[in-house]
This record gives sequence, C-alpha cells and structure tokens, in this order.
Amino acid sequence: MINTIAYGLTIGAILFIISIGLSLTFGTMRIVNFAHGLVYTIGAYLLVSVLPFVRNNFILGALIAVLAVIPISYVIERFVIRKLYGVSIDYAIIATYAVALIGIDAIKWIWGASPIPLSDPVGIDVSFFGITLPLYRLIIILLALIIFIALSIFFKKTMVGKIVVAALDDKDAVRSLGISVDKYFTYVFVIGSSLAALGGVLYAPITSVHPYMGMMVLLVSFAVVIIGGLGNIKGTFISAFVLGMVMAITGRFWGPAAETMVFVVMAIVLIFKPIEV
Amino acid sequence: MTKRERSDTLAIQNSTGLRSFRDILFIAAGFLVIMPVLGINRTTDFIIFSIFVMGFNILYGFMGRLSFGHMLYLGCGAYGMTLFTEHVSRNPFLAIIASICAGAIVGAILGPIVVRTTGACFALINLAFNQVGYFLVVVAFSKYTGGEDGMSVSFSKFGFIDFSNKPFKFGFVLLCLLLSYYLLRKLTSSPYGVLIKSIKENETRVKFLGYNTFVYKWITFIISTALSAFAGALSMLNYGYVTPSFIDPSRAVEVIFAALIGGAGSLYGSIIGGVIYMAISNYLASYIPRWEMFLGFTLLIVVFRFRTGVWGYVSEKFKGCTKAMPVRTS
Repeated sequence: MINTIAYGLTIGAILFIISIGLSLTFGTMRIVNFAHGLVYTIGAYLLVSVLPFVRNNFILGALIAVLAVIPISYVIERFVIRKLYGVSIDYAIIATYAVALIGIDAIKWIWGASPIPLSDPVGIDVSFFGITLPLYRLIIILLALIIFIALSIFFKKTMVGKIVVAALDDKDAVRSLGISVDKYFTYVFVIGSSLAALGGVLYAPITSVHPYMGMMVLLVSFAVVIIGGLGNIKGTFISAFVLGMVMAITGRFWGPAAETMVFVVMAIVLIFKPIEV
Repeated sequence: MTKRERSDTLAIQNSTGLRSFRDILFIAAGFLVIMPVLGINRTTDFIIFSIFVMGFNILYGFMGRLSFGHMLYLGCGAYGMTLFTEHVSRNPFLAIIASICAGAIVGAILGPIVVRTTGACFALINLAFNQVGYFLVVVAFSKYTGGEDGMSVSFSKFGFIDFSNKPFKFGFVLLCLLLSYYLLRKLTSSPYGVLIKSIKENETRVKFLGYNTFVYKWITFIISTALSAFAGALSMLNYGYVTPSFIDPSRAVEVIFAALIGGAGSLYGSIIGGVIYMAISNYLASYIPRWEMFLGFTLLIVVFRFRTGVWGYVSEKFKGCTKAMPVRTS
C-alpha cells in the first residue's frame, strides 16, 4: 500500500512539473497548447542522445536537455502561438496540434519510432519503516516541492511574476498600463516549456522513451489543469497529486483503468464546475 | 406575412430545392468520376468518411463547437451495428437503423452534460468521454466486443441486396451520402439552421430573443452523433469487421483536419475535405514517408492563410460562378 502511495506521489510530482506550463499558457493566453506534449517528448529524447557524450552523467545531461529546449520553445512561441492570440480557441487547438504532429514526425525521422529504454540514474534504494523505495523517486517528489515553492515565490515577489499574475486576471488592464504583455507571455511560455522538458527528462527513466509518450501525458495534464483551475499554481499542485494518487490506486486494483479514471474524475468535475474559456 | 413575402419565400424554397437537386447530381457525378481512378474500395471508403465529416461539421462548422472526441460516436455506430447483427438480427438495414439509434441515444445522454460547455472545455470533455468509451470497448467489455482484436460478422442477403458485392455497396453508400447531404441541406437552410449559426455567432443574443438555446444545441448534438454513428455503421458494413481503431480517441483529429481543410461551415466543404484528407492519408503515406509532417504544415497554412478552407477559398475566387452556393452568413 505504501508503495502505491509512493508511486502516486511520484506520478503526481511529474504531472505537476508538466502541467504548470500548460496551466500558465491556458490561463494567460487562453490557448490549449498541444505542442506542450511535444516539448516534453523532445526533452526526453535530447537526454537520451546527450547522455553518451557526458559519460552518463544524468544531472549534466538533464541540464543540457532542458536548456536545449528553450530555443525550440521560443521558436514555437514566436512563429505559431503568438499569431494565435485572441483568435478563436479552435484554431489554436488545431495549429498547436499541427506543430505537435510535425514535431513527432521529426522525432521519428531523427531517432526512429522504436522505444528506447533508460535505466534508473541513481540506482539506490532507500528503506525506512520496513519498505524499500528507489531514491530516484524521492528526489523527484522533492524536486516538485522545490519547484512549487520557487514558482510561488516567483509569482509573489518578482516583477515579472506579478505582471503575469495580473495579466492572468485582466490582460487588457495590464496592457493599458503600458506593459508589453506579450513579452512576458513569452517568458511564461519558455519557463513552462522547459519545465515540461524537465518532466520528460525525469519521467524517461521510469518508462521508456518513444515518440508518442507526450500525447498520453498531455491528456492527463489537461485533466490536471482543468481540475486545478487555469493559471492557478496551488490548484495545479493539489490536483496533480490527487490525480497521481487516483492513477496509482486505480492502477493497483485494475491496471488498464488508471488513465481512464483520470478522465472520469475530470468529467465529474466539469459537470459540477464548468470552466468558462 | 403578405402575399408578396409569401411568394418570395416560396421562390426561395423552390430555388433551394432545385439547387440541392443540382448539388446532389453534381456530388454523385463527382464520385462516379473519381471511382474508376481511385478504385471502388477506396471510393467507398472516401464516401463514408465524407458522411462522418458532414456529421462533425454540423456541430463544428455550423454551431461552432469543436469536439475532440467524435470517434466515440463513430465507434458507437460501428459497435452498435456489430453487436446488433451478432445478437439480434442479421438484417443489415435493421442493424443500420439500430446503430443510428445507438448514436442518437449516446448523444442524448451525454448531450446535457456536454453542450453546456463551450470552447476548449467542450473539446476536452468530449475527449474525456471518448477515452472512457475506448476503455469500455477495449478492456471492460472485451468479452462482448472482442477487445483489441475486434470482431467480424456477416450479413444476410436478400435477392440483389448483397453487401459483399462491391458495386452494390458503392451504390448504397453513395445513396446514403446523397440522402444525408439532402437532409442536412434542408436542415441548414431552414430557420433552425439559421438559429444554430446564430448560436455560433452570439449565443447570448439568441437567448435574449427568447429561444431556449440549450434545446437547440442538444438537438444539434444528437443529429451530429447520429450521423457519425451512421458513418460508423457504414464503414463497419464496408469492412465487415470492427476493431478498436473505430473508437480510438487519437484518431479524432482526422475528422477535424478534414472539416478544416475542406472548409468549416459548408456541406460541400465537408465532402471535399473528406476526399482530400483521405487522399493525403491514403496516397501520400505510400509515396512520402514523412506524410504526417506534410499534413502538419498543410494545417498550419490552412489555419494561418485559408481559414475558410478549400471550398471557402474556391467559392470566394469564383463568386460569380458560385453565387448560388450557400456561403451565406446569418
């Protein structure tokens, strides 16, 4: 049972790291960003190809992968997302999906379509209270907590964060103060994308790396964002861990139902609390 | 209504009737022309997909609700058809009617939950239901649906009605397309059609005019699901078997792409989009290994340059020739 809880917390931590970017873009720009799953996949693939060059140093590899995603996400923002501000949400969905399609095909072109397995980078188990857990998972949970605290401080204390929070509330009011909101949206988008890449990097050793890994995770993180509230860091944090637990517990009793259960929860939430977009 | 107005309305109705008759001839001729080029199997496939695109477009193009899980309703039709044939009767016509009913019932049940939402929420909640439906078919009820492997059934034959005969199948499917085109055409040029287009433009105003928009949205949703189920039933009839790919949520984008490429909000556009999309995915895939990338770039171009799709672009260019075509906005 405790193993299940630990697994749920790990999934929750990764879901949180991925969903943050989605939640911010959804909240600030009103764009359902399907390209987010692509960035996540690219992060994992970059890690796989960088690892041999850095003598399997996982931290260095992860760092390079996450940094390398920044220009990619900037290009996506500059040439696709930025043109979609204020346009009907349907076009945004379709355009970002098209970007994801192009990216996935490019990945299949470069790395091939077959899954690439990756081993646990820490490889140490810790045991306490009579249960053994991989240390790597504990690190992931800890990392999610650190990111949560850092983002909370970022949005409360720094100027950029404050502007973004204000823009989440009322974009036009911020713009009328003479602040170029779009520039800050770019920052938010790049931060969100790098976090998604980090999520991919962290999740890669737990599953295997394959071109469609982003799509399934993306759907689950949409559920996280919708349940947690758009642009709401705390809500995303809580709902990510709740859904992680839901997945882990369902998976324990009936494996194939794990992901479906998330959507059932999402449907129930939407019935009682429809969001206005 | 004065006498003058009435005669005007009659004239409009007459011309719509005449025009839809001409359109039907035109569509039938178009498919008969491409049939020898593409081969009878593929053309049958294309026609069925066009019906599906029309069913999707009534919801997306006319009412402005983008569903990201329309495969669920297609799958409802396909599995409804299979299960009906397996357990109740081998009569294909009864089975088609039953599967349309299945689609309509699912639409009627999910409708009240779904149609209250708009935009991204509508898209994602449909996707969520589609995921649940996929799970139910593949895992939960795999005993009845055959799970991953799917299942095949055969239909009984009466006289010349034989669904293993390819030309007959082609003719039947084409007839189904023309019938659904005609009905949708009637529907969208009626006051009801104007109303759902108005809901797309501004729902609050329609409410102010005293219409109960919820009922109209619900009915449109049911029409769309029933038509999608019809397409599902036909494709099951065409292949003779059903697999989970009929209800796979990851294929839901295909119909969106087709509707968008052809032109959202026009029935002609749906058919053209259906044919173009199927041509891309059928032929390009065998010539260009990177066809998904090609599709992605095509979509980006459509979204950024040709929002009205191929049909919208063509009818804009040749406004004189196609003045009779309905690119009317409400």
